[in-house]
Amino acid sequence: MKHTTTITTLLAASTALFLCNCKGTSSGGGGGTAGGDPLTLDYPPELIEGTPKPITAAGGAALPSLVQVPEKAPEFLVPKGTTLLSKGKPVTSSDDNPIIGTLDLITDGDKDAGEGYFVELLDGTQWVQIDLEKSDAIHAICVWHYHSQRRAYHDVIIQISDDPEFKTGVTTVYNNDYDDSSQMGKGSDNPYVESRFGLIADGKGTKGRYVRLYSMGNSSNEMNHYIEVEVYGIAQ
Amino acid sequence: METIQSNIPRRDFLQRTAAGVGAGLVLGAPGILRAAQGDRGGRINVALLGHGKQGQVLFESMKNIPGLNFQAVCDIWKYNRGAAVGHVYALQKQRPNAYEDVEEMLATEKGLDAVVIATPDFWHSPHTVKCLEAGLNVYCEKMMANTIDGARAMVHAAEKSGKLCQIGHQRRSNPRYRFTLEQLINGNKICGQIVNVNGQWNRSLSGSQDIAVNPKIAMQADILNKYGFKDMHQFMNWRFYRDLSGGAISDLGAHQIDIFNWFLGAVPTSVFATGGNSYFKEREHFDNVMALFDYDTPQGQVRAFYQVLTTTSAGGGYYESFMGTQGTIDISEIPTSSNIFRETGDQVPSWNYLLERGLLKPKPAAPKPKTAGVIDSRASPPPEGFMLPGEMNKPAHQPHLENFFAAVRGEAKLNCDARHAFLSEAPIYYVNPSALSKQPIVFTPEQLSV
Repeated sequence: MKHTTTITTLLAASTALFLCNCKGTSSGGGGGTAGGDPLTLDYPPELIEGTPKPITAAGGAALPSLVQVPEKAPEFLVPKGTTLLSKGKPVTSSDDNPIIGTLDLITDGDKDAGEGYFVELLDGTQWVQIDLEKSDAIHAICVWHYHSQRRAYHDVIIQISDDPEFKTGVTTVYNNDYDDSSQMGKGSDNPYVESRFGLIADGKGTKGRYVRLYSMGNSSNEMNHYIEVEVYGIAQ
Repeated sequence: METIQSNIPRRDFLQRTAAGVGAGLVLGAPGILRAAQGDRGGRINVALLGHGKQGQVLFESMKNIPGLNFQAVCDIWKYNRGAAVGHVYALQKQRPNAYEDVEEMLATEKGLDAVVIATPDFWHSPHTVKCLEAGLNVYCEKMMANTIDGARAMVHAAEKSGKLCQIGHQRRSNPRYRFTLEQLINGNKICGQIVNVNGQWNRSLSGSQDIAVNPKIAMQADILNKYGFKDMHQFMNWRFYRDLSGGAISDLGAHQIDIFNWFLGAVPTSVFATGGNSYFKEREHFDNVMALFDYDTPQGQVRAFYQVLTTTSAGGGYYESFMGTQGTIDISEIPTSSNIFRETGDQVPSWNYLLERGLLKPKPAAPKPKTAGVIDSRASPPPEGFMLPGEMNKPAHQPHLENFFAAVRGEAKLNCDARHAFLSEAPIYYVNPSALSKQPIVFTPEQLSV
């Protein structure tokens, strides 16, 4: 069963900017393109399993500026004409033979929390990459790593490029690797506790064919999980 | 045995250092809180039996225990088998042998030393007995079985085989719990006479929903039926069914009622329980249960209350509270839910010596109200707050598994062998009958004996 939440807002652009955090990303607060339309997402139902685990960094240290689970779907504005670009698009990964699941689950449109809906990649810094099959202006990247357990994601880096190797023309639109543990540069976005609302990263209109998402475990374990990634933008 | 093409990484694995193993178990705590750890012996060949959610929790807890070789995995669901193979391969760069059926695994595998069982409760007893009879040392998740006779069979099999059988009441190896019992309750008797015990596990609705599964990966009906499940929903949600488990009082309550009995050094003389399906009306097991236990302990009578609610997380989640004439200890696997309170009054001795010895830490005082309140002469002043001196920085199950493997090496005694687990678990099997009949049950020796 899917629960559709339409993000509605009558807020003026200035108010939207006020709600937006400084990076234009949203794991709780508002964000996006001032004056734009609300991004409408299908959110999965909440389904939490098992005994809660402490939400800390490795060794039990506190995670800095940890963003807690929002009480409602975050508000995020995108330019008129923004559509879902990634549905059913091919996915590749640094771990091309996942431990659990298959990479196509990442763009299959299913965000449920149960078994069989997620892919599990090896530990360490891993990436998944979505090929949009043409270069478009990207305004939002929505990520659901794993939401059947309250856990923090703190090494998430999202990049856009027209180079499938991500060697040239790479734009980093999100980075919450606060301690540079992936050695790709320290990020200024905040670690966050994942929920059914996932993470909305602002693509800022960056043009590119490929979207690459890095991660390095989470507060519960060393593995890397993805349920779904949605890339929204304006098709050229 | 089957070959599962699991993950063969195209790159080198991360170098696993000893950092995770050698990291201090307790930060800033006295040495007494440190548990035994480290590789003191040879390799132990381990089989994993059941690799669902709990099996994966246990595997995560074993990853940093040195000297383990995960030789074989067994799960009736190909999806879980594949995950088990992948997890093991990622850890040790060697693919384990994979089986659907435990008997085939036991007949085929040579050189196994131990098995870690995390199958549904109604399989615990048959699986444990088979593995013990095959000469393996067994670590089996709690609850021992879905029936008391199944649990008895596990004790008999363990004692007949001469092999080790540890039951997964992991708090018994948690250094915070052991410290609290050995140093605070027994050693320094900070509670005075414990008169009442209270415990709960309250879980929110969102955490109590049916576990979903993608129909694309569902097991075939013939496999489900072969292993005692009528369909995939029952397989994923076996905890809701009376023939397969004891329900929430067993699934969640067993951990904490075991702590009641362990800390009091006694088993209850009676239970009076109630429960119902107040929200999840379609489920066979109650969605909320409340139980009263009476104890006769060497220090006197104790009454204990336990509740498990699957419809709310209110009231502080899960903890156990031991309330005495001189102090109260609230303890939980969640450090923030652990508090210690000293009663006020001249008859209560000072705890300064405990602070000086590092056995307690003062709890930061709550901010005082800005305006003076009116003192109600009928109310007792709030008790003084304290905290345990340190925390554990390992996964919750790791010390218990370390204890098991140390025992396999002959270096330790089990902290929760089958017989002791049975004596503690036995009263729990009577909670649901009491709630169903709405009658108290006064235990006879036969009811609680092996």
